Amino acid sequence: MPEFLLEVGTEELPALDAPVLARALGDKLAQVLKEERLGFSGMEIHWTPRRLAVLVRGLAERQADLVEEVRGPAVAVGLDPQGNPTQAALGFLRKYGASPQDLKRKVVGEKEYLFLEVRTPGKPAREVLVGIIPDLLRSLPCRKTMRWDSSGVAFLRPIRWLVCLLDGEVLSVRYGNLTADRVTRGHRFFGPRELVLNSPAEYVEKLREARVIADPGERERMIRDAAKGVEGEHGVRALWTEELLGILVGSLEWPSPVLGKFPSEFLDLPAPVIVAVLHEEGKFVPFARNGEPAPVFLGFRDGKEDEKGYVRKGYERVVKARLRDARFFFENDLKRPLAERVLDLREIVYEARLGSVWDKVQRIREICKHLVDSLGLDGEQGTLLDRAAFLCKADLTTEMVREFPELQGVMGGIYARHSGEPEEVAVAIEEYLLPRTRADELPESTLGTVLSLADKLDTVMGAILIGEVPTGSRDPYGIRRAANALISLILRKGLVVDLFSTIDAALELYPQIPEGRDAGTVKGFLVERLRHIIRDDFGIPHDIAEAVLAVPRGDFLGALERARALASLGRDAALAELAQIFERLRNITKGHELTSFDPELFQQEEERELWREYLKAEGRVRQALANRDFAGALEALLPLGGPLHRYFEKVFVMVEDERIRENRLSFLRALLSLFLEIGDLSVLSV
Amino acid sequence: MRNGKKRVATFQDLVLALHEYWRDQGCVIFEPYDVEKGAGTFNPATFFGCLGPDPWRVAYIEPSRRPTDGRYGENPIRLRLHHQYQVILKPPPPDIQDLYLGSLEYVGIELRDHDVKFSEDDWESPTLGAWGVGWQVWLDEMEITQFTYFQQMGGMDLDPVSVELTYGLERIAIFLQGVESAFELNWSADVKYGEIWHEKERQFSIYNFERADVERIRKMFELAEAEAKACLEAGLVFPAYDHTLHCSHLFNVLDARGAISVAERESYIARIRELARGCAKGYLKLLEECRARVLA
Repeated sequence: MPEFLLEVGTEELPALDAPVLARALGDKLAQVLKEERLGFSGMEIHWTPRRLAVLVRGLAERQADLVEEVRGPAVAVGLDPQGNPTQAALGFLRKYGASPQDLKRKVVGEKEYLFLEVRTPGKPAREVLVGIIPDLLRSLPCRKTMRWDSSGVAFLRPIRWLVCLLDGEVLSVRYGNLTADRVTRGHRFFGPRELVLNSPAEYVEKLREARVIADPGERERMIRDAAKGVEGEHGVRALWTEELLGILVGSLEWPSPVLGKFPSEFLDLPAPVIVAVLHEEGKFVPFARNGEPAPVFLGFRDGKEDEKGYVRKGYERVVKARLRDARFFFENDLKRPLAERVLDLREIVYEARLGSVWDKVQRIREICKHLVDSLGLDGEQGTLLDRAAFLCKADLTTEMVREFPELQGVMGGIYARHSGEPEEVAVAIEEYLLPRTRADELPESTLGTVLSLADKLDTVMGAILIGEVPTGSRDPYGIRRAANALISLILRKGLVVDLFSTIDAALELYPQIPEGRDAGTVKGFLVERLRHIIRDDFGIPHDIAEAVLAVPRGDFLGALERARALASLGRDAALAELAQIFERLRNITKGHELTSFDPELFQQEEERELWREYLKAEGRVRQALANRDFAGALEALLPLGGPLHRYFEKVFVMVEDERIRENRLSFLRALLSLFLEIGDLSVLSV
Repeated sequence: MRNGKKRVATFQDLVLALHEYWRDQGCVIFEPYDVEKGAGTFNPATFFGCLGPDPWRVAYIEPSRRPTDGRYGENPIRLRLHHQYQVILKPPPPDIQDLYLGSLEYVGIELRDHDVKFSEDDWESPTLGAWGVGWQVWLDEMEITQFTYFQQMGGMDLDPVSVELTYGLERIAIFLQGVESAFELNWSADVKYGEIWHEKERQFSIYNFERADVERIRKMFELAEAEAKACLEAGLVFPAYDHTLHCSHLFNVLDARGAISVAERESYIARIRELARGCAKGYLKLLEECRARVLA
């Protein structure tokens, strides 16, 4: 079976885009081959900064034949009464070069028609591939495109060569000003400029000889192993981020480790600053010893070991200069205490309609005040929280944060400490941007948690109230992420807080609300995010999520706990019985307001039995709810199943007598609302 | 790669070597433009040279002023004024990356002993209405060159596109001379870089950060802007462009002085971009009317 190689040779692709493009190339090629009826047994994707490649194994020699049924004239028209073809049918046969015995009959709709099975022989793979490659290349999804010559072709970076080999044969593909060939290129500095490939199979090994590791997984292993070596040898731990690893894998054709050191006099800089300096631009891997930065770092030269040590010297010089720069920022920033910088926030626009960062800070403080009350923090904590809120954005005016935006918050905490602020305040500022995403780490301190909640709530509310509700993939203000982080914070920290009342209270902080938008949009948006999060992150089944969110409440943690109570019952028989009868209860009381009822008006024993069970259950449910014991509340509801069942069997609710009817409805409505404290059981699939 | 490596002992030797190399590639060796500017891109040889259909190759050194980068002469590498070496190749040849790497070898950098990476960096100048796609080139993880395929200039789509190479001369010289600071560089055999520039760095930092009179600078901006507009109305694109450059620099001074709020910033940038666009349009019109090359 033939093998096929397509390699797109480029100038250096952005490190994090190359893998995305390589995957897209493979996916799209697989899809086109399927559409073209060209089977294959396997596909390998390779890429480096300078090439995207797909190797197809076991490719069919030719397309499968295409067999189609073609409809001709109706039988009534095509055949005479003796069953012989008429002129119309003969014409149809001529067109496809077929004879009368090939004709088939088939009913379509009301009529019977003549049909022919027409077979188009498959074309050789070579012919098909030549036709599809240019469109395939054109369809690759680029984040941004550029032109580099006059051919009109656009891509993320210039394409400089194409390899297109079907076994030993070059396919004559043209794209822009390029003609495909069998010539690839080795490493820019340590491989041959031209590397002739005799067949697709030798691609990976020939490149290896030319100092290029085509397989990104292998490059990742080389990089990780190098870091592990340093860890073992120096008793340190590498401080990786996904991004750093991705950039290294994406920017090297042959990772060659270079270990550098920096003068330990810089170790008095705050640890996050040292890490940020080394992480900058995804250049160096920092290391820690016992939680403190160690004065070593790992860089990667592309291609070959640094035999002469020149590269190490160069790296060390650069790191030293950057650390010196960071020290300059740090010392300058310390000249002004954090509190003095807060006023400068009036100069930084947060959003044209939502005012300056100063305005945002004022809103955060107000929201914090509300949260202090509802979370039951004491007066001293309230004062400290307000101080932290007042200072939390001040680090935006520092040179360090301008240079290293990822240090926002962390730097604020460090500068707060240097400005003599209380430790609790410093910690809260350090932590309040956490979690940045729903999977990110959480603040540890109470004040940091509350401040985080207030900041994120303001971000989400502000954007939604000015009409920036995210739609589809469009989310310019990052609202979905902020909302996810906010909800994740509440659920993972176990915060008992009524978000709805906080939102209602905060509404007056946004004076420029356009007509027609209200707190409802914000609440609805957050409940929608909650639905996703309890399903995706907490494994709550779809139907249970629906049940507990049928009555949206501002107590988001409660929704999760209700859902867990329901889930823990599994598919309990008592629950199943309740769920089945629940819909009847809900339908019959539809539109009936919650009003009082009079047990004196009950007439049948089944009514009284249900009432007695209701009275028992109600007390226990309310008690359990007050203790946030949702499993207990649910348990208290289960015994109602039997009596309810008998009630609906024996009692006719919609009687003529209006007094009796209304009384029965009111009772059932009360029963319904008791159930709804847990959720709408009718949506459970039991 | 190419042979004929130079022994580049001084800062000025580096400039001369690059002149030679790019002269041999058919470049016009141009001079720095005598109006203050933040980058070599603002030199008319680049701004106008990239516009229009005609091929154009040019190389020149450009002293570039960036008031916010001043460090009172106390930082080894961050400078209020640094020297760029600028090359424009329109259209770019297909082996442009090799051509560029050849220039590094020519000035004495043994590429196989070092680490050279092309790392994504898309360039944009909101004031010039220009953007392009390319890389920062890192030599042992020190940024030495901005390599850009220009896609737009003065708000106009470019066809053909140009490649701009902007070498940071101080950084390359520091590398070649093995010193730690720009001020220690040998400018010539007898004169240090610091002897020429250190006191200027100190004074301009004091001026830009602490002393520049905000009201007077604002007025100067208004005057330069009015003058540029008047020139544009009279169809005088080159004088208009000089005044646009004044505006750009005065804006940078105000920025360093911390006198521009975020809201104002956008509007200042938009005003300069408007002038640059006017110059680009006027220049293209001129090309059409003359039906001949008017070289930048």
